[in-house]
Order: sequence, then structure tokens, then C-alpha cells
Amino acid sequence: MKRTNKKFAPVLLTAAFAIGLVACGGDDGGSSSSSEAPSTEAPTSEAPSTEAPSDGPVVVDCAPEEGPLKAAWVYVGPTNDGGWTQAHDEARLAVQEHFGDAVETTYKENVPEGPEVAQTIEDLIADGNTVIFGTSFGFQDAFVEAAAAHPDVCFEFATGYMTSDNMAQFYGAAEDTDYLAGMAAGAASKTGKLGYLASFPIPEVVRGANAWTMGVRAMNPEATVKVVWLNTWFDPAKEKQAAEALIAEGVDVLGQKGVDSPATGDAASAATGVLWTGYNTDQSENYPTVWLTATTYHWDVYEIPRIQQVLDGTWTTGNYYGNLADGFVKLAPYGDNVSAETRAAIDARLEELKAAPGSEFTGPIKDNKGNEVLADGVAHTFDELMSMAYLVEGIDGEIPAS
Amino acid sequence: MADRIAVRMSGIVKRFPGVVANDGVDLEIRAGEVHALLGENGAGKSTLSNILTGLYRPDEGSVEVNGEQRVFSSPRDALDAGIGMVHQHFRLVATFTVAENVVLGESGGSLFMNEAQVAERVRELSDRYGLAVDPSARIWQLSVGEQQRVEILKVLYRGAKVLILDEPTAVLTPVEARSLFATLRAMADEGRSVIFISHKLGEVMSVSDRVTVLRGGRTVGTVDTSETSTRGLASMMVGRSVEFERVVRENPADTSVTVLRVEAVSANDDRGRASLHDVSLTVGRGEIVGVAGVAGNGQRELAEVISGMRASTAGRITVQEDLVKSGKARSAIARGIAHVPEDRLHTGLAASHSVEDNLALKNYRTSQISKFRLLKRGAIRHQASTLVERYDVKTPNTTTPVRLLSGGNVQKVLLAREFSALPKVLIAASPTRGLDVGAIEAVRERLVAAANEGVGVLLISEDLDEIMSLADRILVMYEGRIVDDVPADGADRERIGLTMGGSSTKEATQ
Amino acid sequence: MRSPIRLERRLEQPKWLNWAVPLISLVAALVLGAIVLWLTGKNPIDVYHRIFERGFAGKQAFSGALEMATPLAFTGLCAAVAFRMGLINIGGEGQFYMGAIGAAWVGIAVSGTPTGITIALMCLAGMVFGSIYAAIVGILRAKFNTNEIITSLMMNYLAGILLNYLIFNSKSYWRNPDSPQFPKSKNIAARADWNTYKIFGIEMPIAFLIAMLAGVAIWFLYKRTRFGFEVSVIADSPKAARYAGIRTSSTIVIVLALSGALAGLGGAADVGNFRGLLDAKGLQMAGYGYTGIVVAALARRNPITTIFVAIFIGGLTKAGYSLQGPDFPSGLVGTLQGLILFTAVAGEILIKYRLRTNVSRAGAVVA
Repeated sequence: MKRTNKKFAPVLLTAAFAIGLVACGGDDGGSSSSSEAPSTEAPTSEAPSTEAPSDGPVVVDCAPEEGPLKAAWVYVGPTNDGGWTQAHDEARLAVQEHFGDAVETTYKENVPEGPEVAQTIEDLIADGNTVIFGTSFGFQDAFVEAAAAHPDVCFEFATGYMTSDNMAQFYGAAEDTDYLAGMAAGAASKTGKLGYLASFPIPEVVRGANAWTMGVRAMNPEATVKVVWLNTWFDPAKEKQAAEALIAEGVDVLGQKGVDSPATGDAASAATGVLWTGYNTDQSENYPTVWLTATTYHWDVYEIPRIQQVLDGTWTTGNYYGNLADGFVKLAPYGDNVSAETRAAIDARLEELKAAPGSEFTGPIKDNKGNEVLADGVAHTFDELMSMAYLVEGIDGEIPAS
Repeated sequence: MADRIAVRMSGIVKRFPGVVANDGVDLEIRAGEVHALLGENGAGKSTLSNILTGLYRPDEGSVEVNGEQRVFSSPRDALDAGIGMVHQHFRLVATFTVAENVVLGESGGSLFMNEAQVAERVRELSDRYGLAVDPSARIWQLSVGEQQRVEILKVLYRGAKVLILDEPTAVLTPVEARSLFATLRAMADEGRSVIFISHKLGEVMSVSDRVTVLRGGRTVGTVDTSETSTRGLASMMVGRSVEFERVVRENPADTSVTVLRVEAVSANDDRGRASLHDVSLTVGRGEIVGVAGVAGNGQRELAEVISGMRASTAGRITVQEDLVKSGKARSAIARGIAHVPEDRLHTGLAASHSVEDNLALKNYRTSQISKFRLLKRGAIRHQASTLVERYDVKTPNTTTPVRLLSGGNVQKVLLAREFSALPKVLIAASPTRGLDVGAIEAVRERLVAAANEGVGVLLISEDLDEIMSLADRILVMYEGRIVDDVPADGADRERIGLTMGGSSTKEATQ
Repeated sequence: MRSPIRLERRLEQPKWLNWAVPLISLVAALVLGAIVLWLTGKNPIDVYHRIFERGFAGKQAFSGALEMATPLAFTGLCAAVAFRMGLINIGGEGQFYMGAIGAAWVGIAVSGTPTGITIALMCLAGMVFGSIYAAIVGILRAKFNTNEIITSLMMNYLAGILLNYLIFNSKSYWRNPDSPQFPKSKNIAARADWNTYKIFGIEMPIAFLIAMLAGVAIWFLYKRTRFGFEVSVIADSPKAARYAGIRTSSTIVIVLALSGALAGLGGAADVGNFRGLLDAKGLQMAGYGYTGIVVAALARRNPITTIFVAIFIGGLTKAGYSLQGPDFPSGLVGTLQGLILFTAVAGEILIKYRLRTNVSRAGAVVA
């Protein structure tokens, strides 16, 4: 019953990141008018690309002998969290609808990051599930261990980095949509003071905060963004409190990353003149007065083809990083607070980012201590994006213990 | 002042197992008067007020309110009939506002209160009766005196015509008490009746229109305050019984040997107010020293200081020259001080613990009962069965919790433990209160027997008869001081009664 | 206006009630649960069968129940020890974190010591950290009469902040410098990895054996020693304790320290036996300390019963995850678990009180 990851020293580490994206090649300020479109090895929209370990892909047959394929999702939050888990469960429902009787899906919600994960996986396997999706970073060790113990079960893990023959990783370029959402936020801010609720100081969230801030300053060059770290994925009360504190400091637009509930929208709705860009799901109908837009994930874009591969007997491990072109990440519908000009500006930028994912991180970029991070025209490599540990100019805040 | 009768209680009898708390009490309250109910602890005042407010139902007798016979089955019933009680221990929610507390538990009130309306009404009431308190203040912000005003407002808000105040001044400073008296007077002037429960003669004289004195569960009489005096009330309280006889001792006291010496001891009460002032006394070998006084004049603090339960602020206590460490009950026990406290069941005993555990409560640390810090269960049981037999405790077995025993047997368990420790000094506080006649006799015999064996006994009691029949010497306490010290043989009851009530010894002997 | 039924305190609690009431409570819970299930269109027999099968029966299920039970056994004992003296230590949660911090410190630092000694050292560190943390609550209570419910609760938040600080917001000793993806603690040394024994096919974490041992030790302490006697007298009547020369203040501090030591031991077990590192986020998600209070209450403060209740709740929690799914919302799982707890508490009330009707008296009032 040991649950340590040391026994499972990362078989495949960041090398896995080598796949997917290669840095933008633009050398003239990242303008997409450049004739050289940023080259990518991004997955095609038909089927996610996967890359196998160097000794060749091992096809894992996890389809059942008979009867429908049983697939299960393990969630850290409740399916109605209005955010992260809800987006995942919407994908599950899409999978169910797509395959009909051929697939039987189930889920376990509110599973804490602890011994419960391994037990829940065992329980799901005992119930005959042969494809298991994990959706919280903290589940990773338990998934790695379960994958080793059950070579005939396919494990699909979102947001992690460890892969094995029967454990694949998937996630996507939310920084691109975060940037676009930031543009909406920047254009909407009257005071030039914005607030950003962030979960943990990890590269994914740092990337989001930076992209959002750059979007903000693309529309509103003098604006500043105050970032607060909440150290939680899902705690509506804490999220709301933090949002209220930011509002009290005079912030008039709020954004969020990694915190999974729309509680920030509640805080914004309760205040006057405060607008909000959400995260994970489209909440435009629930928060019409404060809604701008949001990054939304469409996990089914990845999951449906992957299940099809299982049914076809062609499933191999991989490491997928989806993007705007795939439709894996999208910008949620605009709220009434986004003006026509702003919409036009964002839509134009969206086409550029669709063609060149990650290209918003092209120099000149300075961090918020005044150091130059990227010289003019230089872009981050994929590895650099995945290990980002600085905050861009315009952010009021710091990465703890960086 | 109208002479309409607001409340008439007649022939009230209330029995509890082993005790008759009210034994045919009559009480008549007029509309528009402040009526004092006077009596020592255990005289039946609380029982009587609990009957009037519907907490108890009388076994016999009747209660009439405005000429109509009533049987209350709950305090709410009584309140609906216009009778409200202001308890000594406040029943307020500390985090709520004054207004919220006032409406809390209001019968027939709507679920949601109209804060402004309530505040307005509270303000109106407090203005009318001089009960200055801010309706929007939270209880925890208020002083004790202000909290009491909230209690009174609560009762007034619900339209009480008869207010019962149980020892309201016990928690007040003299200034606050004076302002309370003005409030009581204002309420009476408006035609409400105030029943003022007290055992402080001075207050009763200054605030009441009439006084009813209770003694031993019976009404001694009702008098107009203007036609009596402190002296008159004192003699009504202590009684004029001549039936008692002085106990003839087998072995008389040997005062040449002092077993307990209290030298210039001062101490504070639970609220930190000085309540014992420079008290000195001695108890000789085999001597029974009685401490007379009206409750609340420092007797409890005196007993607790000697037994180490309360730290002294000055002075020293010795048992045969050995110092008792201030505030260290362990030290007092080790020096041979036994203590029969006033509150037997919750101070002298651990009520939910078995008879055998309680019998070991003071000697569980000795090698006889424990070894290597482990309890010897067998020894505990053996000790218990021996003592139960010797002290004739009636209990189903030694593992029965003491709270299930009758009052007399509870006291026997306590005495068994305290006497069997072979003490040098015994502090006995109201050792017979609440017991039936047979049990009283048994307890007194034990006390005398202990004295005969050489134990120095300090007998603290409000029952003057008891002190006069048992003690060799009588001390009188008033406001934390010993104000009189007389030999019991041939002592003048009246003089003692007066000094208890605050008259100087000079006045008392005139 | 008066309720027709009222509760009257029992003078004596018949012994048979002690086993009959929990049994009846359980049956009542099952019946009530069956009604709820039936109303929501589920087959109660199937559901109960699954709870039993996935929560308790079988080697794997029971092994899982034990794993889930282990932290709860420690936090349950933590709460029970304080309850025994009438102290409500809500702080098991924070004391558990502190124990984990202390044990992780030892677990990371040791190298080369034999596993047995490492386990002992980690236990010791967990206990010391947990007990010091709880003793602060005790000292505040003993010296300043501060409400221990509030202080211990506040210290839970404080401990959570400390955990976040150590792992997320600083380069502390505990923080693994090589965790770019997500801030984590260092792993404990291999020799610090606690054993799990296989007994008759059941995986028995050594921490659970320690918990059982602790339960028996606490039972003995409270039943057979002078200290236990003093604690029970203080619980019964603080005045009587003072009267008998019992040192109430120091006993309060000792009891809370003991209570915290047990929670801290649980934290050590979490690091050593289960997670292998100081999991700042996972610990705060788990809420073992708070569940432990429920465990102790259900066990009626009895340390031995606490161990069994922990297994029961552990199995029930495990079965709860097994039950839920698209057609079995986790809310319904919570309802079933809540029903069981509710009837257990109701049963507790029936042991202490008896039901009386007011009908005859009400009639008399009218007449």
C-alpha cells in the first residue's frame, strides 16, 4: 500500500515535452504577416498526434473481449463545479453520446489526492473499466503506480508529465486563449488595475497569468495586474474572498487560472462596475452582467479519437498538447461588455494564434523585475514554455520561493 | 398604593426525595409593591419562586393570579400569565445584540424580527424604568450590571406584571445596586409587582414595601417594612426556638492545644473581589467552633481558603505549626484538613463517579490505593465495602454513581471519606442542610464523635440552632470579617442575629 | 404549543443499552437508507451488497478499509482523549499536519539507520510536533481559560498556512528543489519507508498496528492509572477535582499534549506508511482531523471502540467512492453516510435520555 513516487522514478520525463511544439520561427516581432508561419508539429485536427518512446510504439489492447468498452473518469471536484471538473464531465458525456452503446462511461467525483485515488482506480478496474482518465495533477503518482500494476488497462492523464506504455498524457495550449481573454479584460478596464486569481505557482498557471497580462497590455499598455496565489484548485469560499479583496483594492476586471469555480464571477456580480474573464466553462448565461469571455477546454476533442483507437485496437501511449486549431481550447462566447472593436481585434489575433500556437510569447518580453527575458523576435521553446518561472512586466506580485 | 392582590400562593407544599422544601407556605403579593422574600439558604425561597414561574408544580396548595386559580406547566405558561423571572445566572446569548436577546424565544413572535421596531420598544422600556442600555450593543460588550438590565428588559418586553428577582444584587456593585433599586421602585409605582429575593437585611429594609420571611420551608410571617427593623427581621430569620439542648460532650475540648490557626487571612471571591478581610481564628483540639452568618458574607471563601481550594491574598494558615500552602488542596489534605463542603454533590464528590471512586477521591495517591501510579482496583473496592458498612451508606453496591443516592446517603459517603482519613481539622459547611431529620441527627453525632476523638471542627452554618447546640464557641461573620466571638454556652441569640445582620457588637448588646 | 414528546434524562443507563442501541441504530439507518434508495429508484439490497462487498468483505476491500481507517484511528483517538476530559479538541487536523511535518523532517534526514529505528524516530518526531502544537491550546486554556474549540480551530488554519508555506511558498528544508512541474516535498529516505504486513492476505499497514496499540494504551491509561482517574474526575466536576487536590491546569495541558501526540502520530504514519512525502495539498484535502471528531463521537469516547469505528468509517468511505457514478450522485452517497451517523447520534441520545409523552400531563392542564 505504499504510495510513493520514488519507486516509480519518472520513466519518461520532460523529454516527452520535446514533442508537440517547436518554437516559433518568426524573426520580425512575431507579426503574423511574416511570410514564415511558425512551424509546429502540432497534432492535426483529425486525430491527436502521439509520440511513442524511442523503441517504438507498443500497442496496448485494452478493449474488452465482449460487451461495451468501459471507460471511467476520476475527478478531484464535483461534476457541477462550474469549472474544471464540469468541463471534463461534459467531455465524458460527449464521448458517451458519440459512441452510444459501444462505450459505457462512469465517473468518480470529489476524490481527494491521497490513498483514495489508488483505491478508486482498483475499484473501477474491478468493475471492468479498461480505460481510465485522470484529471487532477495530484493523482499522477497513483496513476503511474496503477499503470504499472495493470498493463492491460489504458490510462489517460490530463495535466501531468509522466508517461509509460499504457499511460498517456494530454493537455492543451490554454495560454493562447488566456492571452485572448486578457485582451478582452484589458480593453474593458477603465482603471487600468486588474486582478488575477491563481491557484498554485506552477508553470502552467504562471504561463496563464503571463499570457493574460500580455493580452491585457496589448489593449491597455499601462495596465497592471495584481496576482494572488490561493494554493487550492477548488475552494469557492476562498476564491470569492480573494476576489472581494482584490475588488476592495480598486481592481475593476478579474481573471483566474487553475481555480476551478465561478466564485470570482459571484464576487464580481455583487460589486458594481467589475467585469470578469472566467475559466474552463462558458458561464456567459449565468453571469451575463459581468461576463467577458474565458478559456474553455474541449477534452472530448482528444478523448473521442483516443477511445476510437482503443476500439480499433491501435491505442498507444503519447503526450498530446492541443491548441486552438484542434478546437481543444476555445475562447468562450463574448459577453455584452466586449465592444465590437475589441471583438474584431481579438478575432484577428485568434487567427494568428491558431496558426502559431504559443507565439504570444515572442520577444521583446521583460519580467516584472525589469530583466529582459526574450530579445526582440525571439520566442520561447516548448520546454521553456513548460517550465516558465517568471512573471511578465505589468504583474504586481511574485512567484513565491522562485 | 393599590391593595389589589396580584398573586396569592396558599398552603404550598413541595417535597423532594428526602426533603420537604416548602411545607405549607403562604405568600401574598399586592399589585404595585416591592415585596421582599427573606430567608437563609434552604429556607425554601428558590423552590417557591420556581413554583410561581412554572418550573415546578406544587404537591399541595394553590396559586392564584389576579384572583384566578392557575396551574403553570412551564415558565412560558407563567409568563403568559404575566409572571417573569430574572435569574441570578443570566441566560443571554453573548454574541447577539441586546434587542436580539430581548426577542429571543418570544412566544408567538414571527420568525423574522423587525430590528428597528424592537430596538424602539426596548429603548422606550429602558427610558421608562431607567434601565440604560444600548439596544444594538452586543451582550459580550456589556458589564454584568448592564446584562442584568437586559434580563429585566426581556421580562418587561414580554409584558410581565409580576417580576421575580433572585438575589439580584449578588452580582452588582453598590452603585449598580442603588440604580437597580430605583428601577424596582419605578416598576412598582406603575402598578407592577416586584418579588425581591434576598438574604441581605439592609437591602430588604431599603427597597421593599413588605417582607415575607421563610424559615425551614414555612412562612414565619409577613410584615410591613415600615413597621419592622433589621433587628426584627433578624430574629424572624433565625427563629426563637428554645427546644434545642446543648450537646453534652464525652471529651471536652482541649483549647490548650491549637490544631488550626488562621492568621490575618484575606482572599478574593470568584469574581476577584476582596471577600475575606484579615480573618484570624483558632480551633483547639477537640473543639467545635461555630461560624454563624448570613450566606454570602465570606463563609464559603473561608472554608475554601482553609481547605486549599482558594488562594489567599494575605495571611497564613497552619495546622499544628505546619504551614498549609496557599491554594494547594494537596497540601491541606496532607496536613490533615478534612472538608465537608457546602456543595456536596459537585464539589465534595464527583457525582457521576461510583461510590467506591468517591471514597478514594482523596487517598488515591497513597500507596494503599495505588502503586507505580497504577490504581489498585481491588484495594479501592475493599476500602469502599468497609466504609459503606461502617458508615451505614445505603447503596445498591459500591459501583453505583453517587448522584443516584439520596441526599442523606450522599452526605454519608462524603463523611465516611473525610472522617476515615483521620483528620486533625474538619471544616464542615452547612453539613445538615437539606437532609431529613434522621440524617441530620446522624451527621451531628458524627461531628461530635470526631470532636471527642480530638479533631478540631470548624462548623460553618446558617442554622443558628445547630451552631448553638453543637459548638463550644461561636464566631459571627459579616462582610468578610469576624465581627463577634462568644462562648456558645449561654450565648445571646438575639445579639448573634443582630451582628449577623450587620449591627456592631456594641449596638447588639444594648 | 407543547411538544407531545419530551426527553428525560435517564438516571441509570442500563448496560444492555450499550450494545443494543448501536445495533438498533444501525438497523434503523439501513431501513431509512433503504427507503431513500427505493424512492430514488435503486434496489437497496444491491446497494447494501455493494457497500459490504467493496467496503469490507474480501481481502482487498478490507485492506483498503484499513488503509482508509488508519489516519482516522489516530485522529479519532486524538479527539477521544480530549473528549474524555470534556475538552473539545478540534485541532486534530492541524496537529496531524504538524506531526507529518516533523516526521517528514526525520524521514528526509535519516540515512543508514535501520528501518525499525527510523520508524521509531519518525513516530517520535510526529508525536513531539503534534503534542507541542496541541499543548499551546492547552496552556491557553489552563492559564487564560481561552475556549479550546476556537483556539484549536484557528491553529488548524495556521498549520495549513505553514504547510503551504513550506511546500509552495518557500525553499524550505522540506521543499524538493527538483519539482518544476508542481511544488512537492522531498521524498523520505528509502529506509524510512514503513512496512505493510500481509496477514492472512490482508494488507496491514504497520501504522494501523501502532494505532491499535495506542488505542489499548489509552484505554489502560484512562481505566487503570492515577492519571486516568484524575482526568475522569475533572471531566465529571472540575470543582471536585480542585477539592481533591488534582492539578487541573497541568492535567489539561498534558491531556491536550497527549491528544496532539496521537494526531501527530497519525501525521507521521501518513508520511511514512502512505504518501512517502509531505503532501501539503493532499493532507488539506483529506480533512482527517475533522472526520476523527465524528469517529470519536460515534465511539462514545472509548479508545478501543474508536479503532473499530475508524475501520467502519474507513470502509464506508471506500464503499462510498465505489457506489458513486453517473446514476448514483455523490450527494446520495453522502445522504446514506449521513443517515448512519445521524441514527448513531440519535441512539446516543436514547442511551442518555428516555422518551416520555406529555399527553397525560397536557390533558391535566386543560382540566
